[in-house]
Amino acid sequence: MKKIFLLLLLLPFVLGGKAQEDSLQTNRYVMRATLYGAGYTNILDTYLSPMEYTGPEIRILRESMRMTKLLNGNVSAQSLFQINLSLTDNKAETGSELAGLINWNYAWHYQFRLAENLKILAGPMIDLNGGFVYNTRNSNNPAQAKAYVNIAGSGMVIYRFRIGNYPLIARYQANLPLMGVMFSPEYGQSYYEIFSLKHGGKNILFTSLHNQPALRQLLTLDFPVGNMNVRAGYICDIQQAKVNHLKSHTWSHVFMLGFVKNFYLIKNKKKVGMSPKVSPY
Amino acid sequence: MIKKIFKKTAIFLLMILSGTSCITEDTFNDSPDGNFEALWKIIDEHYCFLEYKNQEYGLDWNKIHSDYKKRLTSGMSNEQLFDVLSEMLNELRDGHVNLVSKDRTSQYREWYDNYPRNFDDSIQSRYLGKDYNTASGLKYQILEDNIAYVYCGSFQSGIGSGNLDQILSKLAICNGLILDVRNNGGGNLTTAEKLAERFTNEKKLIGYMSYKTGPGHNEFSTPEAVYLEPPMDRVRWQKHTVVLTNRRSYSATNDFVNRMKQLDRVTVIGDKTGGGSGLPFSSELPNGWSVRFSASPMYDPDMKHLEFGIEPDKKVDITSEDYNKGIDTIIEAAREYLHNHKQ
Repeated sequence: MKKIFLLLLLLPFVLGGKAQEDSLQTNRYVMRATLYGAGYTNILDTYLSPMEYTGPEIRILRESMRMTKLLNGNVSAQSLFQINLSLTDNKAETGSELAGLINWNYAWHYQFRLAENLKILAGPMIDLNGGFVYNTRNSNNPAQAKAYVNIAGSGMVIYRFRIGNYPLIARYQANLPLMGVMFSPEYGQSYYEIFSLKHGGKNILFTSLHNQPALRQLLTLDFPVGNMNVRAGYICDIQQAKVNHLKSHTWSHVFMLGFVKNFYLIKNKKKVGMSPKVSPY
Repeated sequence: MIKKIFKKTAIFLLMILSGTSCITEDTFNDSPDGNFEALWKIIDEHYCFLEYKNQEYGLDWNKIHSDYKKRLTSGMSNEQLFDVLSEMLNELRDGHVNLVSKDRTSQYREWYDNYPRNFDDSIQSRYLGKDYNTASGLKYQILEDNIAYVYCGSFQSGIGSGNLDQILSKLAICNGLILDVRNNGGGNLTTAEKLAERFTNEKKLIGYMSYKTGPGHNEFSTPEAVYLEPPMDRVRWQKHTVVLTNRRSYSATNDFVNRMKQLDRVTVIGDKTGGGSGLPFSSELPNGWSVRFSASPMYDPDMKHLEFGIEPDKKVDITSEDYNKGIDTIIEAAREYLHNHKQ
């Protein structure tokens, strides 16, 4: 991690005064959060089974957000990286499915500052997904690979408020894939034919709202505990597709908990030594 | 029930709020009628031989629906339901079709029960002797007349490339090779391919394969060619080979025999293979029973189905006279053939 990041949250105060804080560039403040969660998921993949599988899911979410210089500094960039893993059973409890997905979103949001404590953010997002669903008892259709890329629309509302003197930040975010491409075997095509025999087919498909109505929603609340910023959240992750006569969905409801860290980035940190006033050495 | 309604409602509301529609599959109740309909629909939409078998022996899947639905009663036990559904599946005459409950597995067995067995492991042991070798699941021995005998009883496990190099090198001094795949019920197609590729020096068209592109009985992809390519950096057999088959040579073994039959210096002797040319997929019923069925058909180079087996080049059964003497008529026929085709 010998990159250009350095924790300097208290630098403005240490350097003394608001005038100096203003001299810092806003696009170098970075909010970074890591959340861990558990919840419930419902999986359908008709390539594997016509039945729905349900069970627990665990998830890790890593988020970072910073302002950019785009459009007079009114655009923020957000990176959302998620990994989830679930172990589900069919209703009769005779079969199990293990599923996992890695998802990375990168969004550029224009920030509309409606009030001092209320912001609405909206903008485009890149949505990359890779994963699998493995059915423990199937024969030549034991697993389904998940690989899809989307251009999505993303919106966010951030509201800062207080209960008494206790500061809180609430955020609601929704990411809606608009169009993209998806990998899928054909209706009755085996992975043996795709990968061993290298037989072709309609395996890369155009997707849009008509065949991939998906939505990721995120609701979080930030609150300080001691000298830590705690973030609690709920993710409603609806991933669905209907391609090649194959239907699939993953409906996840996950409760998240983690910490927020705020950073200030220093340019050329290898060349510029830290001020003796703030250096611990 | 309330929890389920709450869950569905919550999901529905979330989707409505977001303008997103639910993607779900039509499901059936976990009742005798619901499980029957679910099974009938799985086969109707996914089974790959409905049209072919309609042409071959008049299989009418719609008529089967009406015939078997009459046998359902609301109070029937799981055992009774399993019997009805198994019988319905047996109408497909397919060894790759099984219904699996918690305590039973249905099987269509007539593809070998109604035919001579043509294999006896106690007679085979007389040919293998006590000092036979085993490597990577293959049993092998050099017979008295300097003919190599290799028995491959399954393709379930992989065969090591190094093992095949060693075995074929060791048997290179022999005048010919008998490759016995009788009673081999199949396994992995890639394992069958790995063994077959050692018997060719050039890329060979061995057939075609297609898959279903939709739920209609005739919705198939354009068949694509399947080739067998020699591993140029590995030991390959250069002399005559006889492949021994019986009705229990099934599934991946059926594919192996088809591959071998397309090669030069390879002769198939024994009984017709059992068939099983549909790559099996799995699905399941609302009550949790699993069903396996043929999903992707394979064809020979002339685009003929291999589902009901492959005829040998030379049909030989074990005679009862030989059987009583402990002689394997099929092995003897192979030895005679190889003696007459020494290189």
